[in-house]
Amino acid sequence: MSEMKGIREIVGKDHTATVPVPQDENTIKLKSVLLEDIQRSAYVYRVDCGGCNGCEIEIFAATTPVFDAERFGIKVVASPRHADILLFTGAVTRAMRMPALRAYEAAPDPKIVVSYGACGCDGGIFHDLYCVWGGTDKIVPVDVYIPGCPPTPAATIYGLAVALGILDQKLKGSSVKEEEGEKATLKHTGIPLEMKVIIEREARRLAGYRHGGLIADDFMNILVESTTETVDTNIKAYLDEKDDPRLREIFDNLYRVSLAELCGRSQPADARAED
Amino acid sequence: MFKLFKSITKAGDSIVKYPFAPLDVSDDFRGKPEYNAKDCIACAACTRACPANALIMETKADENSRRWELSMARCIFCGRCEEVCPTGAIKLSKEFELAVTNKADLYEDATFTLAHCRECETPFAPRKAVDYAMDLLVQSGISEEQQAKRHEQVETCPECLRKQSMLDYDNVFHGKHLNNVHLKQEERV
Ligand code: SF4
Ligand code: SF4
Ligand code: SF4
Repeated sequence: MSEMKGIREIVGKDHTATVPVPQDENTIKLKSVLLEDIQRSAYVYRVDCGGCNGCEIEIFAATTPVFDAERFGIKVVASPRHADILLFTGAVTRAMRMPALRAYEAAPDPKIVVSYGACGCDGGIFHDLYCVWGGTDKIVPVDVYIPGCPPTPAATIYGLAVALGILDQKLKGSSVKEEEGEKATLKHTGIPLEMKVIIEREARRLAGYRHGGLIADDFMNILVESTTETVDTNIKAYLDEKDDPRLREIFDNLYRVSLAELCGRSQPADARAED
Repeated sequence: MFKLFKSITKAGDSIVKYPFAPLDVSDDFRGKPEYNAKDCIACAACTRACPANALIMETKADENSRRWELSMARCIFCGRCEEVCPTGAIKLSKEFELAVTNKADLYEDATFTLAHCRECETPFAPRKAVDYAMDLLVQSGISEEQQAKRHEQVETCPECLRKQSMLDYDNVFHGKHLNNVHLKQEERV
């Protein structure tokens, strides 16, 4: 077999890598002309390269009347031959590489390629599967990356606006180095360690891991800020502001276990049993 | 016809104003993980929890460094990193405008130094993690004398600690633990 287009052999015929389709200078120049002239008529063709369909659902959500992408002339078309923008979703499975390339070649030059979703940007959750190339930029040159799993309709509209040069990119890469003698701040320093563990465990038991952590954080912030006299009013003010019966219940429980700990008793039996 | 116009005016405008006006996102919206390198102790809990391997950690003993990296390209905004972070250094924000034209802007990294064992000089943990452990112990209210002893302990690598404890007769003899268990049970009865 002669060499396949866009495929580079690493070891013999067994291990291969993909190389993105090259772009010639004229196309790049044409692309900037396209961006100037495109204004409010951007036709989008969606290429599904083996995602979970979550991204497709959000793309269609972005074209519904609520987000109404057609306000900006963004229209989803049925053929790559009509497209100005190609939206690649999915982690590019081996089987979908050829169809994706065909869609790419079928779209008239100059075209803008958008990599959509975590899968499109870098393979996302599927990045290390044996059957994927892991990202759109492995097969075609990409102009804009829209991260998210899936990106929300608002993120989609923002991403397309960036692709069309209407809005500017906000995110900046960063790189920091540890400074001499830098220390992590200790949180809730007034509360004994054992008590913190009990509060956090109880909150996570009741509200699930992530929300439990957040609730325990809020609870301990209140404890740290208040004195024995003000703690009740502070908790009440917080709960009144949030106005959530579930939160009230959890706070009651947290209050109970921390009081029990303060009084030197161990956790109530019912809290123990489910640990 | 008139009826139609009437119902249209009644229905109002359902189109969201975004991007011309900021979008109201819900309280529990999970957007870009916001990272605060100052509070990070390079413990790698988040990199183990991350289902998409968007967070990675590389330890280079010869360069005395540990590098933390977040790739927004792979992140699925699940919040696992926030759940497990012991210091709250990483928190999901409401930022969703993440599209970039330059892929390099999707990456964030931070470099940390390592702590060396006071006995054998091998690097065994990030310096900030060791300091954090000590700070926690101090905060838990142990005595000055114990602090000095614990300080030695946290700055020694697990290997050397094991060797040291083998030399300590009390630690090798298991009867101590057995007795404790018995005592506790008697107390409870
Ligand atoms: S990015 Fe997420 S939602 Fe989109 S295709 Fe991949 S797994 Fe599905
Ligand atoms: S939100 Fe989830 S995918 Fe993103 S960095 Fe955190 S653990 Fe990884
Ligand atoms: S879990 Fe938190 S402290 Fe540990 S490495 Fe991750 S961000 Fe840093």
